[in-house]
Amino acid sequence: MSTDEDRQAKQREAGSRETAKLWRAWRTVHELVQDRGYTLAEEEVKITLDDFKRAHGDSEGNISKSSMKFSALPSEAMIQRAQIPPSEREPNPQQPTVGTIWVEFIEGDNVGIKQMRNFVQFLGGHNYGTGIMVTSVNVTPSAMKIVHTQLDLKVEVFHEQDLLVNITHHELVPKHVLLSQEEKAALLVRYRLKDTQLPRIQTTDPVARYLGLRRGQVVKIIRKSETAGRYASYRFCV
Amino acid sequence: MATEVAPKSILKKPTNPTTASTSKADRDRQTALYHADLIQARKDTELEILSATEELLEYPLAKSPFNASNPSPDDAKTFKSLLTPFQPRDYDELIVERNCADLCGYAMCPNPRQRESGGGIYRVMGTSGKAKDFKILAKEELEKWCSEACAKRALYIRVQLSESPSWERGATEYLVRLDLLDEPKSVEALEKLDLSAEESQNSQQNKANLALERGDQTISVRSRLVDVKIEEKVIQRKAEAPSLEEDGLGGKLSTMHLALEGHVPIFDGRKQVGSGDSEDEDTDWKL
Repeated sequence: MSTDEDRQAKQREAGSRETAKLWRAWRTVHELVQDRGYTLAEEEVKITLDDFKRAHGDSEGNISKSSMKFSALPSEAMIQRAQIPPSEREPNPQQPTVGTIWVEFIEGDNVGIKQMRNFVQFLGGHNYGTGIMVTSVNVTPSAMKIVHTQLDLKVEVFHEQDLLVNITHHELVPKHVLLSQEEKAALLVRYRLKDTQLPRIQTTDPVARYLGLRRGQVVKIIRKSETAGRYASYRFCV
Repeated sequence: MATEVAPKSILKKPTNPTTASTSKADRDRQTALYHADLIQARKDTELEILSATEELLEYPLAKSPFNASNPSPDDAKTFKSLLTPFQPRDYDELIVERNCADLCGYAMCPNPRQRESGGGIYRVMGTSGKAKDFKILAKEELEKWCSEACAKRALYIRVQLSESPSWERGATEYLVRLDLLDEPKSVEALEKLDLSAEESQNSQQNKANLALERGDQTISVRSRLVDVKIEEKVIQRKAEAPSLEEDGLGGKLSTMHLALEGHVPIFDGRKQVGSGDSEDEDTDWKL
C-alpha cells in the first residue's frame, strides 16, 4: 500500500518538476522576445506558475506543449533600429522589413527533417520573419541543415534546458546592447574603422543567440569597471 | 663604321603585350571567382545530399510483394543513384532521420523499427548459441533496425561508400559502385571482397593518384585559374616500322659509331654531317 502511495507521490513530484521547467522556459523565452524589441504585455512576460498551469495545463495538471506557442509584433523602436541610414553611395537605401516573431514549443521525443520542414513551411505560409523552435531533445543534423538553407527566413532552435535561467540576468554577464545601423555608422566614423576591424563576437555565442544577432551587426558591451565606473566595448558579429 | 650585317640580339624576343598583360584587379577577380565556384559546388552537393535524404525517408515506394530482402528493381536503382554523393557520415544521418520517422534504418525496408521494451542501456545478445555469437549491444543500436538482417544490409551499403567528400572526388567517381547485400554481385565487387580493408583503400588511393596524374579533373568546377587543355596528337598516316634504307638514317650510318649522346664530334675543322652552310657562323668578331 505504502509503495503505491510512494510511487504516486513520486509521479506527482516529477510531473510538477516538469511543469516548473516548462514554466521557466516559457518565461525566459518571453523575456528573450521582449529584450529583442518585440511588443509583449508585462503580464504575459511575468506570468506566475499558477497562471501558467491554468492556461496550458489540463485537469490533471499535465502541461500540453501543443498550446505553448505565441507570436509578437516588432515595436516602433525595433523597426527604427533596423533602418539603414542614407549614405553618399546610396541616398535611398532599400529598407529591410522587420517581420513578426513566432515561438513554438515542439512536442515529441525527436525532431527530424519532417518536423523542421513543417515548422519552416508554417513560418513561410504565415509571413513570419523569425521563428523560434524550443525543443526538449536534440535536433538531428540534417534538420539543422534545413535551417541553414533558409535565406530570408530566420529560424532559431533553442533547447528547453538552455532556457531554464535567463543568462543575461547573471551578474557575470555584462549588458549587451544592439546598435542601430545609424549608431554603427557613427561609431565607425568616430574611431575611423572598418567594421571588420572591431573586436568580434560569434553568432553561436550564448548572448548573441539570445539577442538573435546576425552577421554584420555590432553590439555595445557595457561593463562595470573599478577605475572608470563603466567601460564600453564593441563587438562585431561574425 | 656601320656594318652591313646587324648584330643578332641575344635577348629574348618580347612577347606580344596584348595577350599577356591582364590587370591585377582582373587576376584577383579571377581567383576570387574560382574559389567562390569551389564553395558553390560544395554547397550544391550538400543540398543534393539533403534532398536525397528527404527523398529516402519515403522509401521504399513499391509495396507488398517486395520487401527488404527482395527490393523492387526501380527502388534499388534510384536508391543506389541517390547514395552516390553520400559519405558514411551522411548515411548515418539518413539512418537517424529514418528512425525519427519510426522506420527501419535500412531505406529498402518498409517495416517500422524495433522497440525494445524495458529499461537499461545495454542488451546481452546470443546467450544460447556459440561463444562467438555472444555480444553486448547498446539498446540504442538495436532500435535502429527492424531486424538483424536489415542491420547487415544497411551496414553492407555503408562500408561501400567513399570516405572522401563528393566535391573532392571528381576523377575517382567511377569507384563508387554500390551493391545491395541480396543482389548477385558483380565480378569486380567479388574481387574487392577478397582484399583486406587497408589494401583496398591503398588501391583506391593509387587509382585516384593515377587519375590526377592523367589530368582527369572534376567536372563540377567550371573555371580554373590556369586554362590547361591536353589534346591528343592525331596521327593520320599509317604506322610504319623504321628501316635502315631510309635516307634519314642511311646517311648517318657511317658516323653513328662516333656519336656521343647524339652528338657527332667534328674532325679536321669541318662538319661531316649536314655541312656547307655558313649562315649560322659567328660573325661578331668582324668589324
